[in-house]
Amino acid sequence: MSGADAENAQSYVLLQIGERRFALPASEVSELAPPVRLHQFPHNSPLVSGIIVRRGRLVPVYDVCPLLTGKNSPTHQFYLVARRHFGSASEPAAIPVNGDSELVTADTVQVTSPAYVSGRLMHGGESIEVLDLDRLVAFESREKNQVDYAELNS
Amino acid sequence: MKIAAQDAVKARKARRPETVILFNVSNQLFAIAADSVQEIRSTDSLGAALEIEQQEILKVRHTIERGHRTYYVVNACAHFGLRVVRPTLVLMLRQIRVAVLVDKIERMAEISGLHALPRAFLGAERQWYRGLAYLEDQVIPVVSPLGFLTSQEFQRLDGATAEASRRDLERAAQI
Repeated sequence: MSGADAENAQSYVLLQIGERRFALPASEVSELAPPVRLHQFPHNSPLVSGIIVRRGRLVPVYDVCPLLTGKNSPTHQFYLVARRHFGSASEPAAIPVNGDSELVTADTVQVTSPAYVSGRLMHGGESIEVLDLDRLVAFESREKNQVDYAELNS
Repeated sequence: MKIAAQDAVKARKARRPETVILFNVSNQLFAIAADSVQEIRSTDSLGAALEIEQQEILKVRHTIERGHRTYYVVNACAHFGLRVVRPTLVLMLRQIRVAVLVDKIERMAEISGLHALPRAFLGAERQWYRGLAYLEDQVIPVVSPLGFLTSQEFQRLDGATAEASRRDLERAAQI
């Protein structure tokens, strides 16, 4: 990495979801939580699998594994707690990951597709997608709502 | 400042201790403010419940008359989209013409405050719940009494009840 590249480089948390690795900007990540209890209750919100409690706060869990890998989430998972933005407000949001996370500094190249990927970074010879959490969960909600609408009208 | 003062009031209000009734529906625990429940009865004592003829709001099948008021009986399993089991108790709500069929009452408890429902939840649950309680390592949704039936649903049910009464009167007149 050149000196100029190092100046532009940012920190990312690499996380494992199913059998794939993704990245999130480290500035958006609060903590990696152990496999704590997932509290569930009736609701109609797509993607939200329940609530975990971290430091006295109730954190919604978004099950993004099926969307990103096409497979169901493994059991006994850790939770990566990041922030989801709603206009000028934000709230903590957790996504299930396995325990193998690492902090790296890397450059990214921007990509435009899929919509929930903001860029790619190279690490250890591997090209890793950088997730945009806000777009990811909004994308899934929109897709689910469209499916529901289609089912209603079929 | 006005806004900050309003926020402080809201925060104090949200953290006010509250007595709730913990109840079970299809093996799912819920809470409801104790002061929003007027009476708890066994379903066996509801022999006078009248069947209501309407197909639009499937969670309501019966009405109960109490103090010259018609209460609509909402099946909580159907309301929350849970597996329907045979209810044993009915919660008659205060200040709203709704009675709720539930499986059993767990107990009463005091919660130290209500957590706002996270914005991640964007479906009907925003009407169903006032918020969430964290009690003895459990996250429990605190139901909103006003969330069981919307004003439009009340209108439809009142219309169906009035129509049924009119037909009964016509039948009685023919006899």
